[in-house]
Amino acid sequence: MKRLSFFVTIIFVVSLFSVTAYAQEVLKLGIPLPLTGTNAKFGEIEKKSYEIAMQEINAKGGVKGKKIVLEFEDSQGKPEVARSIVERLIDVKKQPIVFGEYSSSCSKAISAVAEERKVSYLVVTGATDDITQQKYKYVFRLNPTNAYYATGLMSFLNTVVKPKTIAILYESSDFGTSGAEDMVHQAKKAGIKVLVKEQYEKGAVDFRPILSKVKAAKPDVIYMVSYVMDAALLMRQIKELRIDSKLYAGGAAGFAIPEFIQNAKEASELVMTATLWSPQIAYPGAREFAEKYKKLYKDYPSYHGAEAYSALYVVKDALTRAKSWKPDDIRAAMKSTNMMTAFGPVKFQDKEGYTNQNFMDTLVMQVIKGKHETIWPQKYASAQYVYPIPKWRERK
Amino acid sequence: MEQLELFLQTLIAGFMLGGLYALIGLGMALVMGVMRVINLAHGDFMMIAMYIAYWLFTLFDIDPYLSVFIAAPALFLFGLAIQKYLLTPVMKVESILPHNLVILTVGLAMVFSNLATVFFTGDYRSTPVSYASNAWYLTDFWSESPIELSLSMPWTLSFVLAVVITIGLWIFLTKTDMGKSIRATSQDVDAALLMGVNVNRVRMMTFGIGMILVAAAGCLFIPIYYLYPALGRQFTNVGFVITVIGGMGSTNGAVIGGLILGIFESMTATYIGMGWAPAGRFAIFVAALVFLPGGIASLIRKGRLGK
Repeated sequence: MKRLSFFVTIIFVVSLFSVTAYAQEVLKLGIPLPLTGTNAKFGEIEKKSYEIAMQEINAKGGVKGKKIVLEFEDSQGKPEVARSIVERLIDVKKQPIVFGEYSSSCSKAISAVAEERKVSYLVVTGATDDITQQKYKYVFRLNPTNAYYATGLMSFLNTVVKPKTIAILYESSDFGTSGAEDMVHQAKKAGIKVLVKEQYEKGAVDFRPILSKVKAAKPDVIYMVSYVMDAALLMRQIKELRIDSKLYAGGAAGFAIPEFIQNAKEASELVMTATLWSPQIAYPGAREFAEKYKKLYKDYPSYHGAEAYSALYVVKDALTRAKSWKPDDIRAAMKSTNMMTAFGPVKFQDKEGYTNQNFMDTLVMQVIKGKHETIWPQKYASAQYVYPIPKWRERK
Repeated sequence: MEQLELFLQTLIAGFMLGGLYALIGLGMALVMGVMRVINLAHGDFMMIAMYIAYWLFTLFDIDPYLSVFIAAPALFLFGLAIQKYLLTPVMKVESILPHNLVILTVGLAMVFSNLATVFFTGDYRSTPVSYASNAWYLTDFWSESPIELSLSMPWTLSFVLAVVITIGLWIFLTKTDMGKSIRATSQDVDAALLMGVNVNRVRMMTFGIGMILVAAAGCLFIPIYYLYPALGRQFTNVGFVITVIGGMGSTNGAVIGGLILGIFESMTATYIGMGWAPAGRFAIFVAALVFLPGGIASLIRKGRLGK
């Protein structure tokens, strides 16, 4: 009997030792992402980008000597699943900091958990304004908010196009609604009249009815906030109905990824989109990251990829600077972040009603000869913009 | 003039959408009529057909319209198998729940959409055919036309094919022995049995034909729409609403119901707002149940009796 208990103790001690030894070498970080479901495309881009950043960081010695091991958890794009994943990460796995997730609704759900448990959460792509307007102390956001997505586009409109009227079409989701509201706001500021403002349910088959309405209203600019398949359908049907506006513009998301061009084909030509980042941009490390991604996966990453890639660097930076890995020390380290990433400068500020929000320049891209080119602001431009846009009837 | 153009363009869009909806509704109504069961996996069978069309297009460059000839027989056989090994055994079981077949179809729907997610991931896919955004314009044919109307090439093709298939089905149901047996079984199972109709065989055939219709609908939808594993539910809803509007199990009713739904949705989108289209669909569904419980089929019957 005594002997048995002795063995048990030995086994117990050995296993305990091996666990701690293992824990010293690696830092496991769980990341909630939509790997299946309707947003899986974006989840996949982000997953690949996190992995590239992880390899780079580990090759340079990891975080305080620990190698990072990323564990991706599928949230299916559902807020309730994202929430339970993060609860497990914090309560069971005792992860010192959480980050990730794609959509605004999921990010919002996680923010509430993080604030309640007092663990820092870095929002990577969720763009709805109110996530960082809740005065949450523990929620930080790397990406500019929806309200700022269109600032670059607005400056292009005001300097080059000078439109008088605009039509706004948007998906009836968190992202679509807030994007449309912000555009209404910006248009009012610039003295542009909103002629049509219509929402649609995701999954709509036929946009012709509202597009006919847009056509009858004759707006100077058509602004759309959509995910990729709807974006492609919209442009195809705009071409088909020959709606001749001075400009077709998308509010990032679906319009800014290569799949938009593949699906909309020639209907995507000369369409502009607000975006946060482009592979040719002159931030240090941006080009290298884009080329590395392209070499591995045959395609340039969208801005979501750059956000994910940089997010891991921001987390690494904060964990390295933090006095200890207690929640409040990490929060303090996050708060004092001031660094340059491949996605641009990162600094979490409290201003204009936002808390812990990163502010930065946004860009405008245009599809020129079947490729996304950065056209605005001109200091970052990779090609000269094409404006005015020829009428559909005159195009080949 | 502009208002007229808006109205006509909406009407055209609604008519075409309705024609395609009718094809989905037809398959569901046919199965409903003969088997007395609402097939809630209808949309998911359509999803399977769309994946067949998608892969044929991506791997072998086969035009989605041509894949009707591959997807339809494939789903026909698949439907026969499902009927023989899953539906018929369940039909025989005496259970407390009278609608265990419906529950079975809900289960099938879940299995299909989850399997599709496992095998094909949740990615959105489409078949970007070269003529995707081609169209015919009224001003091209009649240059002084005061209004401009356009007809999308793939939409028109899909619509015309849907009409051809519907006429084909009508000929099959009215002229052939098998078709007559199907109609007989649909009207009165016991009488059909007494008249020597092999009801079990008829049930199998009906389910198979329902699958052909939904496979065709899938192949007609993919050039103008896109595809993802969870797409089935949306079209099951459409089919269900049409079946109810048309009068449970009536094929004529389903065609008219489909057109009504398509035009109603387009009109809602233009004159009320596109965000209201799903709510409109629900409203018309409830209205049909309350004010016209027998569906359009009951109106057709009344008209006949009046003569």
